[in-house]
Amino acid sequence: MNKQFKPKILSFLCNWCAYAAADSAGVSRLQYPPATRVIRTMCSARVDPVYIVKGLESGFDSVFVGG
Amino acid sequence: MEIVEHLLDISGIGRNRMQLRWVSSAEGQLFADYITQFSEQTKELGPFDPEQFKLPLTAIEQTLSSPRIRWLIGMTRELTEIENVYHEKLEEKDYKRLLKQATEEEYHKAMIVEVLRKGPHSVHEMAKKIGLPIYTVSLRLNELEKHGQAELTGYDGSTPKFIGLAT
Repeated sequence: MNKQFKPKILSFLCNWCAYAAADSAGVSRLQYPPATRVIRTMCSARVDPVYIVKGLESGFDSVFVGG
Repeated sequence: MEIVEHLLDISGIGRNRMQLRWVSSAEGQLFADYITQFSEQTKELGPFDPEQFKLPLTAIEQTLSSPRIRWLIGMTRELTEIENVYHEKLEEKDYKRLLKQATEEEYHKAMIVEVLRKGPHSVHEMAKKIGLPIYTVSLRLNELEKHGQAELTGYDGSTPKFIGLAT
């Protein structure tokens, strides 16, 4: 596989759980790949299945949902 | 979400393109691990080309917003935990099978509707474009005709051609 390929991941993160986790990961300077673009939702249940498909349609390589 | 995974699988995109994980606000490390692992996984899968999967993607979107699937998903608890108006209750595995089957049917129908948008097609041509057996296509086409979403437009020689009606 192409070594230069940098995946683009769309993340839907719940404001109260995963978003806060991402925040705390940042604060405690944990290393993780810069591949994700985050959309904060008020709850991961707010993520409609259609959004995932839309994400792939708009050119993301994969979609992550964190609750 | 199981339905999306199933749809991604049958469309050939693959369920590995999406992931659902539970992370509590205190688990920064866990989140970092998940992202690292998922980004590795995506790297292995390689870039995703939406153009190549345009037809399946549109069909999946249609399927997920179809009244039948929306209704079924919305009724999960009523159907499996409480009971319907006839005092019947579905076993969870029966419900899942039902949902899966309905999803596949709706997905195939959405594909047919999408193909027909581009002009009249014979059953044979549709089956080839969608990659389904001819028998399945004619079954679904029949349902579409019943609901007024497709109709026979004419013949090309002796081959019947069908066209989609605006929905």
